[in-house]
Amino acid sequence: MLALALSAAPTWAQDSDDDHQPSTRLSGYMDFHYNKPERADGRLDFHRFVLLVTHEFSPKIRFVGELELEHAFVEGLEEGGELELEQAYVDFLLSRGFNVRAGMLLLPIGIINERHEPPVYYGVERPFVDTVIVPSTWFEAGAGVHGEVGRGWRYRVYVTTPLNALEFSADEGIRNGRQKGSDANIGRAALTGRAEYVGVRGLTAGVSFWTGKSGFELRPRLDVPVHLIEADARYSRDRLELRGQFAQVAIAHAAELNDAVARTTGINPNIARTLRGAYAETSYRVVEGQRWGDVGVFARYENYDTQFRMPAGTAPILAFDRDAWVLGATYWPEPDIAVKVDYVVARNQSGVVRAPNALNVGLGWWF
Amino acid sequence: MVMILALLATAVATAMRAQGPAPQPTPPEQTVPEQTVPEQTVEVTAERFTFQPSEITVPVGTTLKVVLKSDDTTHGFRIKGEGVNVQIPKRGRGTITATFTPTKAGKYTFECSRICGAGHGFMRGTIVVVEPGSETK
Repeated sequence: MLALALSAAPTWAQDSDDDHQPSTRLSGYMDFHYNKPERADGRLDFHRFVLLVTHEFSPKIRFVGELELEHAFVEGLEEGGELELEQAYVDFLLSRGFNVRAGMLLLPIGIINERHEPPVYYGVERPFVDTVIVPSTWFEAGAGVHGEVGRGWRYRVYVTTPLNALEFSADEGIRNGRQKGSDANIGRAALTGRAEYVGVRGLTAGVSFWTGKSGFELRPRLDVPVHLIEADARYSRDRLELRGQFAQVAIAHAAELNDAVARTTGINPNIARTLRGAYAETSYRVVEGQRWGDVGVFARYENYDTQFRMPAGTAPILAFDRDAWVLGATYWPEPDIAVKVDYVVARNQSGVVRAPNALNVGLGWWF
Repeated sequence: MVMILALLATAVATAMRAQGPAPQPTPPEQTVPEQTVPEQTVEVTAERFTFQPSEITVPVGTTLKVVLKSDDTTHGFRIKGEGVNVQIPKRGRGTITATFTPTKAGKYTFECSRICGAGHGFMRGTIVVVEPGSETK
C-alpha cells in the first residue's frame, strides 16, 4: 500500500492547490481529575496532558502526531505514569474513497477511541465499556486504508500489531495486552476495521471489528485467536444527544491460555472466553447560549462483564460482572473547556466484594 | 476539595469577566445579488470528525453558498485548490458562509483546515459539480 502511495507522489506534485502552504501546527488537550471512591481518600490526578502536532508536507501528504503524558509523572518501571505515543502516522490522501495511512494508529473501534477530547463526552472518566471491553485508548503500529464511498458511508481498515495474550486478565480483559507499538511482535498481524454511516444529519453509526492471534509470548507457543465485534451510534438534535454502544470479545482456547499463563507466571489468570459490555447514555443541554456558558446533564447506564462466558470447568469471578449508573453534569464556560462532575453508582454480582460508588470532578480543555 | 472548587469557580468567573461581552453571532456575509447567476444554499454542520452532509451536488455555474456552523470547537472549511478557506466559529457563536461558483463539472474536495482533534484527518467531503439538469433529485 505504501509503495502504491509513493508511486503516485509525482502526480500529487502537479495538483494545483494555490492556497496551500506547508505548515506545522500544535494543538492538544488536558484532563485534570478529582476522584473520591466510597470509603477511601480522594485523589487528585492530572490524568492526561496531550500535545498534537500536525504537519502538511503537501496538500496530499500529512503527518499527525499525538504524545500523551498520563498521570503527570513517569519513572522507569513504575506504574504511576505513562508517556505514550498514541498517534504518529503519515497520511497519503489519494482520493475521496481510497487513502493510505502508516505509523502509529488509533484503532477505529467504538465511540471514544478516536474521539476522546474531554469537551466532547460526558463524564469525568471515559465509559467503563470503553475501558475494559474496548481498551481505549487503543493504539498500535501498522498501516491501512480509509476513505468515504459516498452517501454518507466511510471506512477504515488497518493491519497492526496484535494483542499479547500473556497480559490478559480477569478484571481488565484484553486491556493490558496492548503492545502500543513498542518494539512490538508482528509475527501474525492483526486486522481491524470499521464501517461508519454519517448520512443523516446528527447521526453517526458504526460497526467495528478486530481479529488477531495473540499467543506469541507463550511457551510452548499457543494459538490464541481473539475476535472483537462492536456496534455504536450517536444521535444529536438541538440540545439532546443519545449514545449507545455494544462490544463483545471472544478469546479462543481460553482454557489452554489459562493453563499456559499459570505455567509461565505461577498464577491462573481466570481469563474468560467471552467478554461483553454495553451502555446507553442520554444527555441534554439545559442551558445554552448564555453569556456565561452552557450546562448539560446526563445519565448513562453501563453493563460490562469480563467473565461473561468461562471455559469449561472454570467458574467466573462474580465481582467482575459489573454494572453502573453514571449521573452528572458538564459546564462549558466556553466550548473548548469542560468542568465536569458525576456520581457513579457501581454494582457487581459478588456477595462478598462490594463495588464502591464514586464522586468525580474534572476539568478538561482543548486548544 | 471545597477549596479547589472555590478556586476553580473564582478562576472561571474571572476569566469570563476578562472576556468582556459574549461574542455575537457572526452575521452572514453580505454579497451583492447577481440576478443572472443561480444560487444554491446548503447548511452544513461540522463536528469532530464529520461534515454533515459530506456530499453536496450543484450544477455548473451555480453559486453555491455553504452556511457553516459547528457543534463543538472551531473548524475550518477549505475547498482544495479553489482558494476558499473560512474558519467556522465554535458552537453557539454563529455561522459563516463560504461561497463557491464552479465553472467546470467534476468533484471538488473540501476538508477541515483547522486541527480539531485526533480524527481531524477524517473531516473531508465532496462537492459534485454536474452539468445543469443532470443533478440527482
